[in-house]
Amino acid sequence: MMNTKKLFKVLIIAVLITGCEDFLGVKPQSVLTQEAFPESAADALQATNAVYSTLRNWHYHSGGFPLADIMSDDAHKGSNPDDASNTVGPFDNFTHSVTQDGLDRWWNALYQGIRRANIVIEKIPQVEMDASLQERYVAEAKFLRALYYFDLVRAFGGVPLVTQSEAPLKVPNSPAADIYTLVENDLMDAAAVLPLKSEYEASDIGRATKGAAQSLLARVYMFQGDFTSAEPLLLEVINSNEYDLEPNFEDANGVNGEQGVESVFEVGAVAGNTGSGGNQYANTQGVRGTPNRGWGFNRPSIDLRDAFEAGDPREDATIIELGETLDGITIAGDGTTPDQTTDEQGNVIEIESYNQKVWYPGNNTTTQFGHNRRLIRYADVLLMAAETLNENNKPTQALPYLNEVRARARGGNNAILPDVTTTDKQALSDAIMHERRVELALEGHRFWDLVRTGRAADVLGPLGFIEGKHELLPIPQSEIDLSQGSLSQNDNWK
Amino acid sequence: MTKQKLFKDHAARSRSVLLNMRMLSTLLILLIASTTYIQAQTVLTGTVYEEGTDLTLPGVNIQVKGTMKGTATDANGEFTLRLEDGQNILIFSYLGFETKEIDVTGLETITVQLTPMIDELDELVVIGYGAVRKRDVTGAVGSLGSEQIGKVSSLNAEQSLTGKVSGVQITTTSGAPGASSAVRIRGVGTFNNSSPIYVVDGVILDDISFLNSSDIESMEVLKDASATAIYGSRGANGVILVQTKSGSGNAEDGVKVNVSLESGLQQLERQIDLLNGRQFAIIANEIRSGSYNNVDAVPNTNWQDLIFNVAPMQNHQISLSGGSEKGDYYVSFGYFQQEGIIDKSNYERFNLKLNNTYKLSQNVKIGNNITIAPYNQQVAPGVTFAVYRAQPVLEPYYDDGSFGVVYNVGNPLASLNYSNNYNKGVRVVGNVFAEAIVKDALLLKTSFGTDASFNKATNFTPAYTIYNPDGTASQQDNEFSDLFKGQSYNMTWIWENTVNYIQDFDKHSVNAVGGITLQQTRSEYLNVAGQNIIRDGEDFWYVLPEYVVDEANNINMVSSINNGVNAAGYYNMVSFLGRLVYSYDDRYTFTATTRYDGSSKFAQGKQWGLFPSFAFGWNIEEEDFMQDVELFDQLKLRASWGKIGNEKINYSNRFSLVTSANAVFGIPDALYNGLTYGKSGNENLKWETTSQTDIGLELRMFESRFTAEFDYYNRETNDILVDLSTPGHLGNGQGQKITYNAAVVLNEGFEFNLGWEDQLGEVGYSLNAVGNTVHNEVKAIGGNSGIDSVLVGGYLANGQAVTRSEVGRPIGAFYGYVTDGIFQNQAELDAYPHLSQAGIGDLRFKDVNGDGVINGDDRTYIGSPIPDFVYGFSMDLNWKNFDMSIGFQGQIGNEIFNGKNVVRPDPYNFEAHVWDRWTGEGTSNSEPRPSYGGYNFLPSDRFIHDGSYLRLRSLIIGYRLPEKILTKMNLDNARFYLKANNLFTFTEYPGYTPEIGSNNVLANGIDTGIYPIPRVISIGFNTTF
Repeated sequence: MMNTKKLFKVLIIAVLITGCEDFLGVKPQSVLTQEAFPESAADALQATNAVYSTLRNWHYHSGGFPLADIMSDDAHKGSNPDDASNTVGPFDNFTHSVTQDGLDRWWNALYQGIRRANIVIEKIPQVEMDASLQERYVAEAKFLRALYYFDLVRAFGGVPLVTQSEAPLKVPNSPAADIYTLVENDLMDAAAVLPLKSEYEASDIGRATKGAAQSLLARVYMFQGDFTSAEPLLLEVINSNEYDLEPNFEDANGVNGEQGVESVFEVGAVAGNTGSGGNQYANTQGVRGTPNRGWGFNRPSIDLRDAFEAGDPREDATIIELGETLDGITIAGDGTTPDQTTDEQGNVIEIESYNQKVWYPGNNTTTQFGHNRRLIRYADVLLMAAETLNENNKPTQALPYLNEVRARARGGNNAILPDVTTTDKQALSDAIMHERRVELALEGHRFWDLVRTGRAADVLGPLGFIEGKHELLPIPQSEIDLSQGSLSQNDNWK
Repeated sequence: MTKQKLFKDHAARSRSVLLNMRMLSTLLILLIASTTYIQAQTVLTGTVYEEGTDLTLPGVNIQVKGTMKGTATDANGEFTLRLEDGQNILIFSYLGFETKEIDVTGLETITVQLTPMIDELDELVVIGYGAVRKRDVTGAVGSLGSEQIGKVSSLNAEQSLTGKVSGVQITTTSGAPGASSAVRIRGVGTFNNSSPIYVVDGVILDDISFLNSSDIESMEVLKDASATAIYGSRGANGVILVQTKSGSGNAEDGVKVNVSLESGLQQLERQIDLLNGRQFAIIANEIRSGSYNNVDAVPNTNWQDLIFNVAPMQNHQISLSGGSEKGDYYVSFGYFQQEGIIDKSNYERFNLKLNNTYKLSQNVKIGNNITIAPYNQQVAPGVTFAVYRAQPVLEPYYDDGSFGVVYNVGNPLASLNYSNNYNKGVRVVGNVFAEAIVKDALLLKTSFGTDASFNKATNFTPAYTIYNPDGTASQQDNEFSDLFKGQSYNMTWIWENTVNYIQDFDKHSVNAVGGITLQQTRSEYLNVAGQNIIRDGEDFWYVLPEYVVDEANNINMVSSINNGVNAAGYYNMVSFLGRLVYSYDDRYTFTATTRYDGSSKFAQGKQWGLFPSFAFGWNIEEEDFMQDVELFDQLKLRASWGKIGNEKINYSNRFSLVTSANAVFGIPDALYNGLTYGKSGNENLKWETTSQTDIGLELRMFESRFTAEFDYYNRETNDILVDLSTPGHLGNGQGQKITYNAAVVLNEGFEFNLGWEDQLGEVGYSLNAVGNTVHNEVKAIGGNSGIDSVLVGGYLANGQAVTRSEVGRPIGAFYGYVTDGIFQNQAELDAYPHLSQAGIGDLRFKDVNGDGVINGDDRTYIGSPIPDFVYGFSMDLNWKNFDMSIGFQGQIGNEIFNGKNVVRPDPYNFEAHVWDRWTGEGTSNSEPRPSYGGYNFLPSDRFIHDGSYLRLRSLIIGYRLPEKILTKMNLDNARFYLKANNLFTFTEYPGYTPEIGSNNVLANGIDTGIYPIPRVISIGFNTTF
C-alpha cells in the first residue's frame, strides 16, 4: 500500500514550492496597461496622435453645440423650437445656469485632451528614439495643451492647473493668470520647435506648426489686451509666406480648401462616424430635414444678415437659405421648423436657415461628418495683425492687411466692398471689428471678440447679457460637487 | 467504527447513519398471542442481521401481514414461525431500524437484513470540506434530498429549491428553453453579481445548468457565515452544495437500474389583455381623427394566438449503480429536450454521469465524479415585445401569403421565420480524487477537478424585405444577409488538498479540517461576422472571405473579427482553509472557521483576504433540566457571526488601460491610429466583504412529528464595488466612471421552516411551510470621491432609467413621478403646476418637493423590486399505492415596473385598460386620454404594479404499482405520475408572469417583454430494478 502520509507531504510541499506569489501574478490578457506605454518610437507617435483625437470629440466643440455663436448676436439656437430648448436654448438669451447641460461635457473633453498632452510631455522624453522627432512630438502636445487650456481659461476663468498625467483627486482653482502663463509658455516652447507647415510631408499636414503656435499665441495675448506681444508674432506668420488667402471665399471653410493655403490650423476629418475619423461638429449644425444633413443648430440671425455690406458675397456664402441649391442639392429644410418665426408684434425674428460654413458636399448625415473645422485661418491672422497694428498706433501698416481680406471677399467685383482708408484709430478699429464679424461669422469668434473688446454688454445686453457675469461661463456645478470643496465657482457666477 | 463510517460517508458524499448502539438496549418483545386454530402448513426459520454486518439482532418483532400473528427473534437473532396458506408477507420491525416487508412464499429459511434507521440528529450534514452530525451544525443550512429534487420541475435543478428552502428566492429570468434562474439567498447583498456559488462534488462553479436533476443526491444551501466562511471570498452570496449520486458499495444489492421517463406539454399560462382591432381603431381615431374610416371593418389579429404554441418537452434518464468491497459505481445517461412555446426556440441536453470509487485497500480509495453534458440550443429573437406592440388592425399575411407589414415593430412572424440563431457546446465538469484514512482519525484527501466548456454560436439572417401594401420596402428590411460565428472556451481547474481529523475523547468531540486549494480559470473567445453570404443554406454558414463579398462594389464584407479574453474568467486563486468543530457532551458545539484567500484579481498588496467565522450551538434538550420535559425531541439554539467575501466583480477595472484615440491628418484626409491612456483604474480594489450574524432556533416536538427552524439574519455588505464619477480635471473623459469599494448594503430578516408529518388512518401526510422576510436597504454609496450618492439603473429601450439606488432605499428601487389623478378641465390645469406638455385629460403629477414647479426633481421612490416576504408551502399525501403532492409558492410586497408599456416612440397597440380612458370631465381619474406616447408615458407610478403572487407551482399525483405486480415483473419499484407545474397564479399583475427576474440587480423587476414562463403538464414513469 502506498504510504499516504508521504504522498500528502509531497503534495503540500509541491504547492508551497509552486509559490503563491508567482501563481497570483496573472497579467491581464489582450489589453495594454499604462505601465507598458509608451515604450517605442511608434508608441510615441501614437500617443501624440491621440492628443489630436480630442479635436474630433463632439464635446470638445463647447459641449457639442456652438455655444459661442449662439450666445453672440450672429446666431440663434436653431433646429425646431422644441429641440434642446431646455438644454441649448438658455444660452441664446443668457438664462443658462450653473447646472446647464453641456458645460460639464466641454470641461471633461478639454481636460481629457490636456491629459493626453501631459502623457506625451511627461513620457515621450524617456522613450529612446530620434531626438528631433521626440522634440517635435512634445512641441505638438504643448501646442494642443495650450489650445485646450485657452478654451478653459477663456470660458471659465481660473480652473485647476494640471500638468501631469496622473492628477490628484483634489486640485483647487488656479488664478486665471497662472493658466495664461502656462498657455503662453507652452506656445513659445512649441513655436521654437515646431516646423513650418511647408516642412511637413503631405501626410502630416494638419499637425501643429510654428505658424499655428505663433498665431494662437497672438490670439491669447490679444484676448488679454496685450497687443505689443501679439504684433511681432503675427507679422512673423505673415512674413513666413507659408500662407495666403484662398482666392474663393467659400473655399476658406469648404471642402476644396481643406488643409489648403489659408489653413493655419484645422481639424482633419473624414466622412463617417467619429471612430472612423468623422467629426460631428458640422452634423450638429447641418441642414435639418431635406436633405437630412444634421440637426440644424446655430441658425444665422437677422442681425447677422443686416451686418453684411450691400452686395457682400460673403452673406450668401455664410448662410444657407431655404430653396438655395448647393452642389446640385436643393435645400428644402425641415418640416417641423417654421420657415419664419415672428414675435408678438408680427415682426420676423428668425428665418429657417443654416450655417453654410460647415457645408460639406453630400445628401446624407454621414458625409457631413467629413467637414474639417478651421480653428485658425489666415484671414483671421491678417485681421488680428490689422487690429494689433492699429492698437499699436500703426494704422497705415494695418490697412493693407484689412484690405487684403476685403479684396478677396470682393471676388473681383470692384462695385462692392471698397477698401477702407481711414487711419482714425477708433474708426479703423470699428472697421476691423466689422470685418471680423462678417469674415469670420459662425466660426466661433464673435462672442469672444465682443468680450475681449469690452463691447459685449453693449451689443448683447438686449439679448440678456449681464456685465460682470456673462463674460464667463459657470464652472459646471457637477465638478464643484465632485471636488468636495476643493473647487470653487468663478467670481462671475458666485 | 463510528469514525470510520463518518469518513466513508463523507467521502461517498451521501447521507448516512451513525450506528447507534441501541441494539443492546431493551428487548422489546411484542409477542402476539398465537392463534387458536392452527393449520400448520409451513415452518419458516430465519436469522435477522444488521445490514452490511454480521451482527445478529435479538428481539426483532416479526408480524404476519394482515394478521395479529407474530413472533420475535431470540438472543441470537433467530426465529421460527409457522405460516398458513396465504400468509406470505412478513413485517420485520425493530426500534432504530427501518421496517421491512418480505415475501416469503415458498421459503423455509430466510436471512433478513435490517437497515439501521437514521436518527435525525445523527444524520450527517455536508457543510463543505466535510460533514458534521446534524446536532453539531451551528450554521444555517437548508437541505433538500433526492426525493424532492427534480420532483417539481425538471427544467433545471436549482428550481427544486423554490419554495422548499427558506431564505432562497428563485426567479426565472425567462421562459425560453435553456434559460437560467436568478438565485438570491437572503436578499440582494451587492450592486454586482449577487448569485451564490455552487459546489458540485467539491468543484466550485458558477452555475449548475449542465446537471440533470435525477443525478442529484442532495442539495444543501449554506446561508450564514458559519456555513459559508469555509468558502471565504466566494461565500458572501451563499453557497449551494450539490452531491451527485453514487453506487451502493454493497455487492449483494447487485446492479440497480433506474429508468425514468417524463413527457410534457407546455402552454402559455395566460395572455395579456390587449385591445382588439375595433377598439384599437376607435382609440386611434380619438388620437388622430380619421385614422380608420370604418372601425367595424378593420381586421382583428390576435398576435399572441399566432406566436404562442403548445410545445412538448421530455426528460429521460437511465442509471446503473452498484458496488462491491472493491468500490462502487454510478453511471447514468440522460436526455432533456424542450421546445419553446415560441417557434425557433428550443434546447436539448445530454448528460453522461460517471461516478466511481475504487477501494485500493481498507483505508485508501480513489474515485471520480464526472459529468459530460453536450447541449444544443436555438434562441428565438425577442418577439414578445413586438407581439405586445403590434397593432391588431394589421393582417399577418397578405393575400398572396407573403408577410404583411407591421409598422414600427416589424412582423414578429417574419422575424421568427428568418431567424437562425444557434448555440451548441459541451461542458465537462468533474473531479478525480484520492483519499486515505490514517490511524482512524485522519482523512487525507486530494481532489483535482475541472470545469471546461466549449461553446459555438451561429446566427444567420438571410437578406429579406417585408413590403408595404403599396409595394415599397418597409423598415423591416435586411439588405444583406448577416452571419455571426462565435466560439469560446472556458477552462477552470481546481486542486484541493484537505485533512480531516475526527476524534472523540470521553465527552469531547473534535471534528476539524484544514486544507490548501489552488484554482486557475482561463477563457478565450473568437467572434467573426460577415455579410452577404453567397448562399442562404446552412451549408454556407461560414465566414469565407471569398464568399462574403459585395459584388457590386467588390468589397469584402467580413465586418468584424474579435478575439479576446473574458475579463471575468482569467485568474488564479490560492486558498488556505480551516475549521474546528468542538462539541462537549452533545450539548455544546463551538465552530471556528477561516479561509485565507489570495486572488490574482487584485493588485499586489490587496490579493489576500482573511474570512473568519465563529459559531455556537446549544442542544438544550440534552441538558439535565430538560430530561423531564418530554415535549421536545430537540431544542437547539445557535448563533453565528462571520465575515465572507464576494469576488464576482469586475476586477479588470483595477487596470489602467491604453485605449485607441485616432486622428486625421494629411492631404487628402486620412485616419491614423492613436493610443493613449484610458480612464484610470483603481489599483486599490479589493473584495466586497459581508458581515453576517445569524441566530437560530431548531425544534422537534410531538415525537418528531413537528419540526421547526427559525432564524434571524443580518447581512451587511461593505466595500461594495460601485462605479463613481470623478472630477473632470483627472482627464478620464465625459461620462467615465471609476470603480471604488464604496457602498454598504444591509439585508435583514427572519426565516422559518415548519414541518408536520403524521399518519391519519391509512393516509400518511406531511405539511411543510417555509418563508423569510427581507429588509433590503442601501446604507451608503460614494466615498472618497464622487457625487454619486445614487446609482441610476434600469435603463429602458428609450434610454429612460427607472431605478435609483440611494441611501435609505432598497437596491434598484423604482423611481418616477407620482400620479395624482387627471386634469379634468382647464381650471384644474391652471390651478396645478404641470409640465408644459400636459393638457386636459392628462395625468397630474404630484409636486413632490413642493416648489410649485413640476420637473425632474419631483420624481421619487415609487416601489421596490425586492419582496418583503417570500414563502412556500406544500402538502404530501399518500394512501395505499397513491401519492399526491401540492406545492404553492409566492411572494409579497414587491413591485413590478411594466417597462414594456412605457417605451412608445411610435403608435403601438395598448393594454385593454386604455379602453376605460378619460373622454371628458369626470369620465376617469386614473386612465388618461389616449395617446401613442409622450407625456402620459413618462415613468411614473402608473406603471407600477403589485408584484405579490401565489402560484400553484406543482401538483403531482402518483400511483405505485402493487407489490404483486412488481414481484411478478421482477421490479423493485414502479410508479406512474401526472404532474402539473405553474397551473395557476394568483396575482394582480397584468403581464404574462409576475416572476420578473434579472441578473442585474439594478434592473430587477422590470418587465420589458419577458419570454413567458409556460404552464407544464407532464406524465412520467419511474422504475427501479
